[in-house]
Amino acid sequence: MPAVLTPSALPAERATGDGGFAAHPPDDPGGWQRPPGGNRIVQRYKLGVWIGMGGILMFFAALTSAMIVRQGLSNDWQPFSLPPVLYVSTLVLLLSSVTIERAKQALEDGSGDGLRKWVNVSAILGAVFVAFQLLGWQSLTARGIYLASNPASSFYYVLTAGHGLHLLGGIAVMGYIWVRLRTSRPWPTRRAVVEATALYWHFLDALWVYILGLLLIWR
Amino acid sequence: MTEVEVSPEVAEYTEVHRHPEPKGFWSKYIFSVDHKVIGIQYLLLAVVAVFVGMALSLLVRLRLICPECSYPTLGTLFPVGAPEGVMTPEFYLAMLTMHGTVMVFMVLTTAPQGGFGNYFLPIQIGAADMAFPRLNMLSFWTTFVSFMLLMAAFVVEGGAPQTGWTGYPPLSAVPEATVPGIGQDLWLASIAVFCIASLLAALNFIVTILDLRAKGLTMMRLPLTCWTWFITAILGLLAFGVLLAAGVLLLMDRNVGTSFFVPGGLIVSDKQIDHSGGSPILWQHLFWFFGHPEVYIAILPGMGVTSHVLSTFARKTVFGYRAMVYAVIAIGLLGFVVWGHHMFVSGMSPYSAFVFSVLTMCIGVPSAIKTFNWIGTMWGGKIRFTSPMLYSIGFVSLFVSGGISGIFLGQPTIDLYFHDTYFVVAHFHLIMGVAAIFGMFAGLTFWFPKMFGRMMDERLSKIHFWLTFVGVYAIFGPMHYLGMLPHPRRYAEITGVDFLMEGGAAQLHLFITVAAVLTVLAQFLFLYNFVKGIYAGKVCTDPNPWEATTLEWAISSPPPHDNFGGKVPHVYRGAYDFSLGGAKRDFAMQCNDDRAVYGEPSAASGD
Repeated sequence: MPAVLTPSALPAERATGDGGFAAHPPDDPGGWQRPPGGNRIVQRYKLGVWIGMGGILMFFAALTSAMIVRQGLSNDWQPFSLPPVLYVSTLVLLLSSVTIERAKQALEDGSGDGLRKWVNVSAILGAVFVAFQLLGWQSLTARGIYLASNPASSFYYVLTAGHGLHLLGGIAVMGYIWVRLRTSRPWPTRRAVVEATALYWHFLDALWVYILGLLLIWR
Repeated sequence: MTEVEVSPEVAEYTEVHRHPEPKGFWSKYIFSVDHKVIGIQYLLLAVVAVFVGMALSLLVRLRLICPECSYPTLGTLFPVGAPEGVMTPEFYLAMLTMHGTVMVFMVLTTAPQGGFGNYFLPIQIGAADMAFPRLNMLSFWTTFVSFMLLMAAFVVEGGAPQTGWTGYPPLSAVPEATVPGIGQDLWLASIAVFCIASLLAALNFIVTILDLRAKGLTMMRLPLTCWTWFITAILGLLAFGVLLAAGVLLLMDRNVGTSFFVPGGLIVSDKQIDHSGGSPILWQHLFWFFGHPEVYIAILPGMGVTSHVLSTFARKTVFGYRAMVYAVIAIGLLGFVVWGHHMFVSGMSPYSAFVFSVLTMCIGVPSAIKTFNWIGTMWGGKIRFTSPMLYSIGFVSLFVSGGISGIFLGQPTIDLYFHDTYFVVAHFHLIMGVAAIFGMFAGLTFWFPKMFGRMMDERLSKIHFWLTFVGVYAIFGPMHYLGMLPHPRRYAEITGVDFLMEGGAAQLHLFITVAAVLTVLAQFLFLYNFVKGIYAGKVCTDPNPWEATTLEWAISSPPPHDNFGGKVPHVYRGAYDFSLGGAKRDFAMQCNDDRAVYGEPSAASGD
């Protein structure tokens, strides 16, 4: 008989091997540790955010191409200068990316207080950003530029609103983190949620810089 | 918790902690996070939707053969759309629109991926559940909300929208252009919500396949079903965001006075519409950038099931497994660069049309690879003509028939003639509609014993197969001829064009309608068989009645709450090891090591 009779050894393949059960190391119900080789559930959550970015990017890519096509097709496009408050809000959002990194550092240090503080600061900065965006809308309406005034303003409102809604989602998750940190229940996915939120937040930050650039270049 | 039976087929386990089983009714059956329950929820939603869709198609067929006929019940249900039971042309268009929308979104998109994918993907890769179970639940209930919004369009003033499942503006964007009412807004809201649900589901599927495979289960050992669910999820992730963006813009055009899609100077019923400079073609581009991948979202899972079932019942490994995988990837990639072939009549540049045409023809190559490999898989096999096998062979037949007319339509010069005729109706129904539905029949009859621990009646399934197989060809075959006449599609009624009716169109319409009624009736046979199977089917104690190879057949039927009872199988081989020389049986399950397959090596064979 040929050699196939020998039981095959498990090949050293890239396979994950826990079938989705081992969400966290059993000895870490608090979700603080970073086990050697990385925490599976942290990787999974972050992978989810990375994949989700693909879908969100396609949404904004569709709006971008629609904007470029719409501008090129017609003669009713009326450019307008962006409200200056946008630059302030951009700085606020960039700053919040720094603070969410501080939250991750607090997680590394095992500091519950630090984590809570920096997540709160990030959420507040996010809310301030949204408030500044609303101020931007207000300054446009004061100039008589409304959603339906002309296609340039329509895209301005749609893009800022689309980004703002995604950002509110991020703030909601930070609210969830804040609530979970106040209770003493075990939280095995703590590290995963915090790291995934930080990744998502950086993405929204970069997305905003892209949208701002688009609005500046293609107005 | 009772000890879970896992068959001795499973050669080796990893022990991990177990998931608690929900006890309450609500957490177990309604807001369940168990992928199996969610899969069945998706399937039930699709079953309800498919009967709604079929009823609508019958109304469409009845209106076509007899515009003046009165159906009193219909008059009671829809006093505006069918006064005294006679369907108005507007009502016909509304039924047409809702038929397309319900079938494409709520049946073809939900059942193959949300239904079978949810139920069997985690089990086939040896996982306890999807990567994000709560997100999975959210996906289903969001889909449910979307379905309810769509159904609500029937009962609002003005009724359901009349702009086709493609919702082309300016018709869809200008309320004055059709019957006023919020039907179109509900339709758009439903589509937008559906997009969100599909995006969440796609994310979950992709992470699950990338992250949760059992040890030893490399990508090239995945069952082809999993490959098609994977590629379908990627298509959904990249396509639904675009439709969402388009839908939001169209909603704004309708309701807040923006002009994304509505051109300036548009006059409707002698009244100038207050919009400027929008582009209806822009909607078409955005819609079809989603719409073409959507065709593959509907059909790819059917291809996976077909490959799987053909191999199992031909008792042969899939012919050219790697070629099949690469063909699915190629179809998925090409699906994103051919959307323009839906727009040849939009006045696009002939150069653009040429590019889209060539790219469209390219899809013929991976499609042919798949078809020849299906035939190659069956060639020389010891074929067992079970009902799933019949449905799968039916899938191949319908896929070829529908695909060949696609080669006609992919050429701009021919498409200009055919585009607005019944030829296109025949084409897309065969390939996207009934081929995909046959994939679902194959999946349902194949996995039924696993899902419910009972068998469906094979004899009834086979009768249903033949009735439906002949029925769909009787419906859609003659439509090719109607298209060549050329009989235009979408019209409630053709008047003043004698040559069409002299060409036999009226008789063909009558024939098609009779065939449609009979085929729909045959579906009640399947429904009866399905429901009877759940409650009174022959109990199937054998976990592997089809002698199949993949992991779901190694566990009891129906599967325990966490699939493998807190254990994870190791995978030793590819998904289609059939007809093995020297083995104890003619197949090897993925979780069998060589010792389990061939027995202990004898001392004499030592090398």
